[in-house]
Amino acid sequence: MKSLFRLIILMVVLVSFASCQNKSRPNYQFFPDMYEPIGYEAYGEVEFLPDGMASKLPAEGSVARGHIPFDIDESIEGYNLAKASLVTPLDSTQIDGPRGGQLYDIYCGVCHGKKGDGQGILVQREKILGVPSFDDQGRAVTQGSVYHTIHYGKNVMGSYANQLNEEERWQVVDYVMQLKSELGGSQTVKDSI
Amino acid sequence: MASHYEAPIRRPLVLGEKSYHDVSVDIAKPVEGKANKSWWIVFSISLAAFLWGIGCIIYTISTGIGVWGLNKTIGWAWDITNFVWWVGIGHAGTLISAVLLLFRQKWRMAINRSAEAMTIFAVIQAGLFPLIHMGRPWLGYWVLPIPNQFGSLWVNFNSPLLWDVFAISTYLSVSLVFWWTGLLPDFAMIRDRAVKPFQKKIYSLLAFGWSGRAKDWQRFEEVSLVLAGLATPLVLSVHTIVSFDFATSIVPGWHTTIFPPYFVAGAVFSGFAMVNTLLIIMRKVVSLEDYITVQHIELMNIVIMITGSIVGVAYISELFIAWYSGVEYEQYAFLNRATGPYWWAYLLMMTCNVFSPQFMWFKKLRTSIMFSFFISIVVNVGMWFERFVIIVTSLHRDYMPSAWTMFQPTFVDIGIFIGTIGFFFVLFLLYARTFPVVSQAEVKAILKSSGQRYKRIRESGESLVGTGTDPRTHNINIHAGSPIVDEQSTVKAHDPEAINQLMDSVGVFDPLTQTKDDLQQINGVGPKMEEVLNGIGIYSFLQVSKMTKREYDLLDEITASFPGRAERDDWAGQAKILINNKE
Repeated sequence: MKSLFRLIILMVVLVSFASCQNKSRPNYQFFPDMYEPIGYEAYGEVEFLPDGMASKLPAEGSVARGHIPFDIDESIEGYNLAKASLVTPLDSTQIDGPRGGQLYDIYCGVCHGKKGDGQGILVQREKILGVPSFDDQGRAVTQGSVYHTIHYGKNVMGSYANQLNEEERWQVVDYVMQLKSELGGSQTVKDSI
Repeated sequence: MASHYEAPIRRPLVLGEKSYHDVSVDIAKPVEGKANKSWWIVFSISLAAFLWGIGCIIYTISTGIGVWGLNKTIGWAWDITNFVWWVGIGHAGTLISAVLLLFRQKWRMAINRSAEAMTIFAVIQAGLFPLIHMGRPWLGYWVLPIPNQFGSLWVNFNSPLLWDVFAISTYLSVSLVFWWTGLLPDFAMIRDRAVKPFQKKIYSLLAFGWSGRAKDWQRFEEVSLVLAGLATPLVLSVHTIVSFDFATSIVPGWHTTIFPPYFVAGAVFSGFAMVNTLLIIMRKVVSLEDYITVQHIELMNIVIMITGSIVGVAYISELFIAWYSGVEYEQYAFLNRATGPYWWAYLLMMTCNVFSPQFMWFKKLRTSIMFSFFISIVVNVGMWFERFVIIVTSLHRDYMPSAWTMFQPTFVDIGIFIGTIGFFFVLFLLYARTFPVVSQAEVKAILKSSGQRYKRIRESGESLVGTGTDPRTHNINIHAGSPIVDEQSTVKAHDPEAINQLMDSVGVFDPLTQTKDDLQQINGVGPKMEEVLNGIGIYSFLQVSKMTKREYDLLDEITASFPGRAERDDWAGQAKILINNKE
């Protein structure tokens, strides 16, 4: 009886230790020697910078190795220029339809619809309205205009330049042109080349 | 005792006209008495050194290993030197208690207790170093193969440093069990002699209820022998494993196959030297000169001489092999030891370890207590330098000359070493005042064969019958102190022979240390019968509890009244229950 009582006391003590962990904050650590970084981590907070962010904006006009700035500017004129003159730099061996489809489904399909008919899930649920179909005659999108729109955004659509790099954008452009032709648009991507 | 034969050439191991009781009194005296002034002085010095060492350890762990004199080339210096030194010192204790037991050396009886204590305290000191020399000692538990949350990340069993963990921890635990088992009869002796309730309580706990029955002794002897049989390979393997720390490396000067036996020989060498140092002081301080005799010191000196010579042969072998190998690195390592910047350490090691034990060939020197004391300290200095030389001189100049450097200890290195010496002596001094420092049970076992008094009686051709008695423990006049028995006692000693037999089996009541029990609490004992029992000399439940059929019959014979009454009522059983209730 006495030993049982002691056992219960011991259990209570052990359980009370376990209850020290609070789910709403990080748990206790035993000698966190190398848990906290000494260097600056990409999204880390720092004291010494004015905005407190370890990530700083690059200097205006600097060009990183392996990147070419997009020199058509963000304006109606730029859009028209791109629409008229810009074509994909990818040749037929570099175009990867399935990958373009995956990227499209991830970033674009939510509004534009998997078929490009402007019936994405957010439109169906009426969260947003006014998403045009790719075969909209009045818009007559081309490779250049799609690329310009992805890069800068247009009207209520924001820029996707942060989500997709240049090569991925052109893969998406190719896939958009493919959807447009499947919807019954006047020309396919292949035709345009 | 006519059947006993001992060669007359053997000198007595217990000097003086000692009886069994004298042995108990002599050994219990330091435990039962108070510490004198010199004990307090030595204890204070040791404690101060210990606390200083703790300070240095805390400073090291909280600041970093960089406070030591280590550098990138010499990653091991004083830390592992001290570790190996302390482990080596610890080995003599097990050697004395285990190997000498297997070889039936009777002279170990008087020294094994202290030698084992020394083992345990030295291994504790040694055990500190593997922990404190870690960069992150708080993760020391990672050396154990415990199932864990890192996908059950395991240890690599290929490292001798891991073998060290197993070796040292096994060694400490086995030594501790061996030591403690041997202490049980001695603690029981102190327990039975204790007068103060606190002492009685403590030694009752320590003695684990040892009652010294034939069955207990028979098993005790078997356990001792089995443990001795286990401890002997252990003692050899532990220091072998420690030597593997070096021998399995690729460092010239370390990579040698001679290390395992050579380190063990060195361990026995330094361990015996330390036992000698301690016992020479202790026999004086706690007046045990009759038990730890010059013969013991001489025999230890002979062991030191033999193992010292083995170590000397090992040194010569190393030098020969280095020359014979044709490996420049190996040859340079030894050239560097002899003529490099640490030549003084090598010379010191050679002088202390190779030359000093050779003095023991001279009987005059090895039987001189002063000289043995001096040499035993010299040997330990030499053995410290042996480890230092092996470790540091091999590391500071090896394959790449661009990595050659020197080693300079800092005060923290030295402070920790001093601290472990202080800690060792704190433990040893506390031990010397609280533990029976000589195994009285074992000394009593050799008293009649090797005691001076008995040798004298035997050699003069007299009988040993009755010589084990001591006037202080036998023939006590039971009416001398309390309890006072009514002079008008109706009981007459009908049969003195029967009374003597009865008293022999139930034991004598000592009115000075024991108190009289109310025997009427036993069902069947009335005022009359109590008077009868008191008249015979039975006053306590303890005595009644020892009665069996034979004693009941004797009692019936003496009293000639109520025959068979005691047996029917089971007085012994009742008395046992009453004893238990009383406690």
